[in-house]
Amino acid sequence: MSNELVTSRRGILGRLYHGETSFDFVGKRKIGFAISLILIVLTLGSLFTRGLNLGIDFEGGVAWQVPSSQTMDVDAARAVLEDNGVPTENAKVQTLTNGSTSSIRIQVGDQTPEVRAKVQSELAAMANVDINEVSVSSVSSSWGRSITEKAVRALIAFMVLVGIYIAWRFEWRMALAAILAMLHDVLISVGVYSIIGFEVTPATVVAFLTILGFSLYDTIVVFDKVKDNIDKFGVSRTSMADITNVSMNQVLMRSLNTSLAAVLPVLSLLVLGSGVFGAIALREFAIALLVGLITGSYSSIYIASPLLSIFKQRETRYKNLKGVHATGVELAHMVITGGATGAKSIRRQTSDSDESTQTNQASPTSTALLTHPPRPRKKRRR
Amino acid sequence: MTRRLVISLVGLLVVVLGSFAGNLVADNTPALGLDLQGGISVTQEPVGEYDSVSLDLAVERIRDRVDSLGVAEPEIIRQGDAIVVNLPGVDNQDEALRLVQVTGAVLLRPVLLAAPNTPADTSSTTVADGSSTTLANTASTTTTDGSSTTSPVTTLATSTTAPGGPSRYPSQAVTSVPTESSTTVAFSDVSTLATSITEAPLGAGSPTGSDVSTSSLAPATMGDPADPIATIIVQNTDGSEIYQLGPSFATGEVFNNDAKADIISGGWGVRVTLKGGSTGADLWNVGAAQCFARSTVCPTGRMAIVLDGVVQSAPNVNQPSFSGGVDITGSFKESEAKDLARVLKSGALPVRLEVQAVQIVSPTLGDDSLHAAIVSGLIGVLLVLLFMLVYYRLLAIVVVIGITLSGLVQWNVISLLSTTNGLALSLAGIAGIIVSIGVTVDSYVVFFEKLKDELKSGRTLKNSAERGFKSAWRTILAADIVSLIGAFTLWYLTVGSVRGFAFFLGLSTLCDIIIAWFFTRPAMLLLARTKRFQRGRIFGIDNTVNATGGTA
Repeated sequence: MSNELVTSRRGILGRLYHGETSFDFVGKRKIGFAISLILIVLTLGSLFTRGLNLGIDFEGGVAWQVPSSQTMDVDAARAVLEDNGVPTENAKVQTLTNGSTSSIRIQVGDQTPEVRAKVQSELAAMANVDINEVSVSSVSSSWGRSITEKAVRALIAFMVLVGIYIAWRFEWRMALAAILAMLHDVLISVGVYSIIGFEVTPATVVAFLTILGFSLYDTIVVFDKVKDNIDKFGVSRTSMADITNVSMNQVLMRSLNTSLAAVLPVLSLLVLGSGVFGAIALREFAIALLVGLITGSYSSIYIASPLLSIFKQRETRYKNLKGVHATGVELAHMVITGGATGAKSIRRQTSDSDESTQTNQASPTSTALLTHPPRPRKKRRR
Repeated sequence: MTRRLVISLVGLLVVVLGSFAGNLVADNTPALGLDLQGGISVTQEPVGEYDSVSLDLAVERIRDRVDSLGVAEPEIIRQGDAIVVNLPGVDNQDEALRLVQVTGAVLLRPVLLAAPNTPADTSSTTVADGSSTTLANTASTTTTDGSSTTSPVTTLATSTTAPGGPSRYPSQAVTSVPTESSTTVAFSDVSTLATSITEAPLGAGSPTGSDVSTSSLAPATMGDPADPIATIIVQNTDGSEIYQLGPSFATGEVFNNDAKADIISGGWGVRVTLKGGSTGADLWNVGAAQCFARSTVCPTGRMAIVLDGVVQSAPNVNQPSFSGGVDITGSFKESEAKDLARVLKSGALPVRLEVQAVQIVSPTLGDDSLHAAIVSGLIGVLLVLLFMLVYYRLLAIVVVIGITLSGLVQWNVISLLSTTNGLALSLAGIAGIIVSIGVTVDSYVVFFEKLKDELKSGRTLKNSAERGFKSAWRTILAADIVSLIGAFTLWYLTVGSVRGFAFFLGLSTLCDIIIAWFFTRPAMLLLARTKRFQRGRIFGIDNTVNATGGTA
């Protein structure tokens, strides 16, 4: 097999597979930032105007779920509520269809246990089903508030702890960038919920928290690579933008793979679990997860890493290299060789050579560019 | 080196498969949360003033009552101050609510009649069962006799004294602490309070109480044990004796919060002091005087200490008046005395639990969710494995075995904890596990990608595998630790489904670390040494070229 023109011959998928892409992430960071900014503005706008559709678990209240039938529909449900003196203006009555069966879910504010039980039995009678077929959940508003408070407190504690850990394991700039990216993900996921008006349930909160974890996880894998490369490029005068770009291209395939591996089960939950089998509880969870996984993967590439490169550029070591960064062939070269030596020579050549030499030189192959050959094998004894 | 790897690999397989077999043999299977099998969940939180002892006792009381109901795999969890009771498979919400609403309130009730429980009933510890079977007759006697309690009392008064042998209670006695007794004061107390007896709930309560009992002669119990003015029929803690109790004349709040088990005149007993004034000693002495005099209100002369409808002790009252302290003595064992002291302590400052959330899931709804979660979860895993197979070809075998092992480890832990700690697998938990598949697969992706990098830079497969794992391990560890921090924070600080989710997230992350070190590492390093792998092309990278010296 001839390796000489491998890079140019490979299609985009091939290059992805071999980690030989040369996307200029840092150079195009403004696009990513702009998209995120628009999304965040939309989110905040929606949060202030529409707010979140909080379920009874956070606001307190009673919810019944009854299988629907010809005698049991939304109007019948409202009639039952009115008969029992439950105000219906703020009642949420909706039909949930899943597969072949459908059910009606009714949510109202706090009620006494007697009313709760009475409505349950009347709904059962109306739908002509056993009383046990009617699911009821009831949450007092004070409990709902304390759940929300606890979740928020947990979130803050989580961020502080994780921030400390990343700062200790890597450095504080990475901690800052990772947490900003994480906040970005949560904000946008919450925004999707606010804009579409999905109901926020405990399952949603669980999903949001998963997103936090996943987003951080993903970011840390990328940052680990960046850290590796900072060490590797340490002696050479390579700009932070270059290092970030190289790292991003090197881990791109990993990021895509991981995202795909994480999204597949969630998609299965969403499409099969809630679509075909009709488990509503799964749908709430899966939608939040899907949104979060996508923003999580997006943010570790387009938000966390460019942010890191901006933060790092303030360091004296990288200050005077600001604004300089390799693109295209040069970048591809650095990505493949993973060293800076080749990059400089190429930069020099590209500046004063004509088009043909450039293409000639710029067909780097792995073997030809082996900057430091592997050490001869030694017998290691452990 | 090779030997170590083989030991690690074989060791893990033995441990995992061994514990799996062990769980199968012991028939441990993961318990399902009530969102998966239907049931009732009640969350209660204490309001007002209480101390943690009473809260602990309340949890124990709930556990006793739930256990006595025979619910399969009930889950009673303290989450901070909140008490969550999950009763899978229970569908009667009234019964469930009645069951879990313990107050910790101790009522002092006069014993109208007492009888040893029949052996058949002693075996059953269920309060409801016991009273429905044996006392239905006694109760109906009362009904036919109207509100007059004298005739059953006289008939059964003999039986109270007769069975003194088997029961230890008649031998118990309440005596005043000698050092603090002052007869004159006590007498004057009694005389002043004698007038107030008629005004006290006791005097008015007697007829009302029997009314309540006659009207509510439900098959299960007569009178609600929580209703202080009702006449009730209850058992003692071990079900050996059964009592008809009159309206209570005081609550446990007459005592100070200082009850303690002590050796009193040669045997274990409980010593407790009375609060002073009209809320303490006065109330107590009214009742004591009645019992001592064996008046119609308290014909047996015994005073029952009742906690949540169970008689903790029913000692004879040996003197008409007490001041300062009360000793309860009798043939107590040390543990019994301590239990009683704890009950009195909790009764002195009872915890008021308020129901904060009730969730009733119909069995069909739960069933649907479980089915959907399992099938879609498995299909999701299959899709991921298929993707791995397409992408990493032969190496996907390692991923498949790794995920299977990780799944087995989780199954083992969940089954074991289900049996020992009452852990139940909730829908949120299953979802957490499904999500964690992504993270588990990621460890392989990180490793394989690093391996690929190393191979590309011209190293041999064996070398690349070692170097690749080393750097991948660092990444995996860093990322997993973040997940663990998250899981722990959530578990510690939140309640309900979020907490359940956090547990399973933490568990699967730990599994990931364990499998990566004890399985993936040895498996890959050993595979990398085999001739077959070194010859072949893995990852579509022609490593044979590089391995033979890097000539193109």
